[in-house]
Amino acid sequence: MLDINNLKVTFDTRMGEVNVLNQVSLKIAPGERVGIIGESGSGKTTLALSIMGLVQGQVQGSIKYRGEELLDKREEDWEKIRSKKISMVFQNTGEMLNPVYTLLDQVMEPYLKVNPGKKKEAFNRASNLLKKVGLREDHFYAYPFTLSGGEVQRGLIAMALINDPELLILDEPTSALDALTRAELIRLLDEIAQNKTILVISHDLSTVIKLTRRTAVLYAGSIMETGPTESLLREPKHPYSRALVRAYPTRTTVKDLQGIRGEFPSLVEPPSGCPFHPRCTQALEKCSQEKPCLVEAEEGALACHRGGIITLLRGENLVRRFPRQGKEGKEIYFNAVDGAGVTLKEGEILALVGESGSGKTTLAHILAGINQPTEGKVYFQDREIYSLKGREKKDLRRRLQILFQNPQEAVSHRMMVHDLVEEPLEIQGIGDKETRVQGVKEALGLVGLPGDSFFLHKYPHELSGGELQRVTIARALVMKPKVLIADEPSASLDASVQAKMLKLLMHLQNEQGFALFLITHDLALAGKVGDRVAVMFLGKIVEEGPTSEVFRFPLHPYTELLLDMAPSLEREVPSLRRTVKLKEEEGKGCPYYAHCPYSTELCSREEPPLKEKGFQRVACHRAAALEKKNNNNSYYKEIKKVL
Amino acid sequence: MKRRYLDYILALVVILSLNFFLPRLMPGDPLTAIYGDALLDMSPELQAQLAERYGLEGTLGEQFITYVTNLLRGDLGYSYYFGAPVTEVILEALPWTLLLVGSSLLISTFIGVLIGIESGWRHGGRLDSFLIVAVMFLNGIPSFFMGILLLLFLSFQLHLFPLSGAVTPFSGYTGMALVMDILRHLFLPCLALTLVQIPRNFLLMRNSMIGVIRTPYILTAQGKGLKERVIQYRHAARGALLPIITRLGMSIGLLFTGVLFIETVFAYPGTGYIFYLALGKHDFPMVQGTLFFITLFVLAANFLTDVISAKIDPRLREHAYQLLDRT
Repeated sequence: MLDINNLKVTFDTRMGEVNVLNQVSLKIAPGERVGIIGESGSGKTTLALSIMGLVQGQVQGSIKYRGEELLDKREEDWEKIRSKKISMVFQNTGEMLNPVYTLLDQVMEPYLKVNPGKKKEAFNRASNLLKKVGLREDHFYAYPFTLSGGEVQRGLIAMALINDPELLILDEPTSALDALTRAELIRLLDEIAQNKTILVISHDLSTVIKLTRRTAVLYAGSIMETGPTESLLREPKHPYSRALVRAYPTRTTVKDLQGIRGEFPSLVEPPSGCPFHPRCTQALEKCSQEKPCLVEAEEGALACHRGGIITLLRGENLVRRFPRQGKEGKEIYFNAVDGAGVTLKEGEILALVGESGSGKTTLAHILAGINQPTEGKVYFQDREIYSLKGREKKDLRRRLQILFQNPQEAVSHRMMVHDLVEEPLEIQGIGDKETRVQGVKEALGLVGLPGDSFFLHKYPHELSGGELQRVTIARALVMKPKVLIADEPSASLDASVQAKMLKLLMHLQNEQGFALFLITHDLALAGKVGDRVAVMFLGKIVEEGPTSEVFRFPLHPYTELLLDMAPSLEREVPSLRRTVKLKEEEGKGCPYYAHCPYSTELCSREEPPLKEKGFQRVACHRAAALEKKNNNNSYYKEIKKVL
Repeated sequence: MKRRYLDYILALVVILSLNFFLPRLMPGDPLTAIYGDALLDMSPELQAQLAERYGLEGTLGEQFITYVTNLLRGDLGYSYYFGAPVTEVILEALPWTLLLVGSSLLISTFIGVLIGIESGWRHGGRLDSFLIVAVMFLNGIPSFFMGILLLLFLSFQLHLFPLSGAVTPFSGYTGMALVMDILRHLFLPCLALTLVQIPRNFLLMRNSMIGVIRTPYILTAQGKGLKERVIQYRHAARGALLPIITRLGMSIGLLFTGVLFIETVFAYPGTGYIFYLALGKHDFPMVQGTLFFITLFVLAANFLTDVISAKIDPRLREHAYQLLDRT
């Protein structure tokens, strides 16, 4: 229906030429519901105004509506298109309605223009529409300045619909509205969209996911990614899309909010190459030289030289066997890590939780390249790390850093702060003495420690626990790593110092752009910090997924238990009673069988594989049962009924 | 609206009091202030008579009451230059001024607003640039100079219009002929006054239009698929008109003083001309009376403006006032 091709819009300003849209291509089929998301300034509204022929700047490229080129239209032709074929609900920035005419008059106006003189008809149609959008008769004759923002928005929607257009463009239809009015409007628009083609422009992701089926992500005038709305918003492929989603709070958000690092680029002097590269954590040299094209990928399209968010660290079927003294001095073996697999993506925080003894630390050491697994492979950016030699191995050490569980034991007490932080640089042979000192001071600055000579010459025993932990972080950061593995970084700290420590880690992760693999036994903490969470039990990953999903709908009984036992300020004494059942055959079946309240006979025989379920992965035969239990949760049902 | 009435009554009281107290606050006695040196030539009887006439006997309070009662009776004093009561002289001149001021006000506002709308709608365009230059040129010419120029070319050289007065004396015209005669006399002073008035209206309307064009509701109107003319006049000009109307009230006051020069140049027998004559002859009762009348007119004009503004802009109506106060 609408075919936008290589659309380019520029404005001449005092500062020079501003490129608002750059080679934007988008197709909208009849009846389709398409969304456009992006930060303010990304060119969303300009795109909509271009379709309406209302943009002020120079427009190049092509916009075809049912095969007709819209950019060639003259003003007289536009009068016949606007409102009759394409209608737009503008973003309500106040004064969207003329203050000197009543609402009804203004809603009727476009109808009377098309059907001159038919006042009676116009009145009927306008009042029906106004009623449909939820306005009362006393609003009809009101002047716009006596109406609330939500009422004006409804009026604008009615006005856009009066000539029954085919394509409806909604620019921020729900922004600046309270939650209830927004919910009502979304339902109304959803109803309207049943027999129309709609284009929704919004930074409000919750509106976009409800109203559209396909979405394009716009950044600095370029489309970064397109795809089915739901999968795009839940599992974004482009680093920018992910950053956008990460900054958006929803009711189920548990993680602390994080803005997108860096500043929105100037449109007068746009960055060369990919417009997002200055803020991207995985940018290569190529990204700053060449602009990536929008390439079809799976269900959508993606504009990224790196093919979207890359996988930094991947462990597959990892097994680590340790010997242990058995009866009568016999040597027996046990698997601390028993077939676990983990993937860590660029710029994300993955939290690994599990009770002590579940093999978390061993897994961390394996991933960090300091404990070779008995079986399985670890890949860092597609290179198997245990097969690396010489220079490459040294290089890996630089980009993969680990924070050990206990800072007191992780430092030499005979070295001063300065030497502790400088040592990795020295080993790697980076820079000369002077630049190294500079690097040390910078790293200390990042973690909020003084870089003066007094502090640099302190010994570890002269530092507090929090300070020492920071020193170890500085020691890791001085290498500018891509991956930081943190093993219980805050277990020994009190709540306040822990809060500061984790805030610092999250801030550094966002600013420095490394991926963080956080190991903790505290599920509440994991939820506050992690983008994704993986649950480990007896050396296996039993569940994994986006934090908000796992916390809302745990699919594994073990996760459910951990969640129930997570710290809370309730007086009730936890009534944890782990059932212990005996399996017919040891070594077979689900590892959690012994404690599982939902287990069946199948669980005792067959070990469940890690399977995808929605956006989560779970290793449980009974996941469906747990899912059902979650869905029956009356609280959510009630909310759904109200809306 | 009640508050507005109160404002006007207050303004009137202040003006009346000023009119009363100013001569009395001047050094020397009020009669000297009013008549100046002319008082010295008067006999003591006449002086006493005048003092009585002006209510200058008794305490200040008593005097004020006499002054107010005289005003209420329409007695503004006696003009010795015209040899008639001030009220009478003013009422005779007033219709001419009203005709001149009214006609030029209507015409200049209409033209100024119209070209202002066109200019503002396409500001930066060719028509706009031309109009700006032309109007600025016009703006540089003072009203009396404009009058002299018109008089010189159109009357003196081309003999198209009469040189002075409001009617041809002793012509005995009646009916249509009289109307035509009045119009012929009116044309030049009216034209001079109109030309001088146009720039202000034009510039204000143009500015106001440019402001309104940027408001979001113009974008809404465009998105509705309306014709450009409709957007320009129904949506933009209507909103932009408000400052013009507000200014109309003020410009009436300015016109009454501006008309002074024009009436003098064309010897047009309106209040301005009378004022000029009275001023020259130190006829202070006449001057005070004329000023009082002008004040009354300005107040009335302002009041009318308020009423019309409220009609045009619903935001200024009573309930809207409360709304605005709250925000």
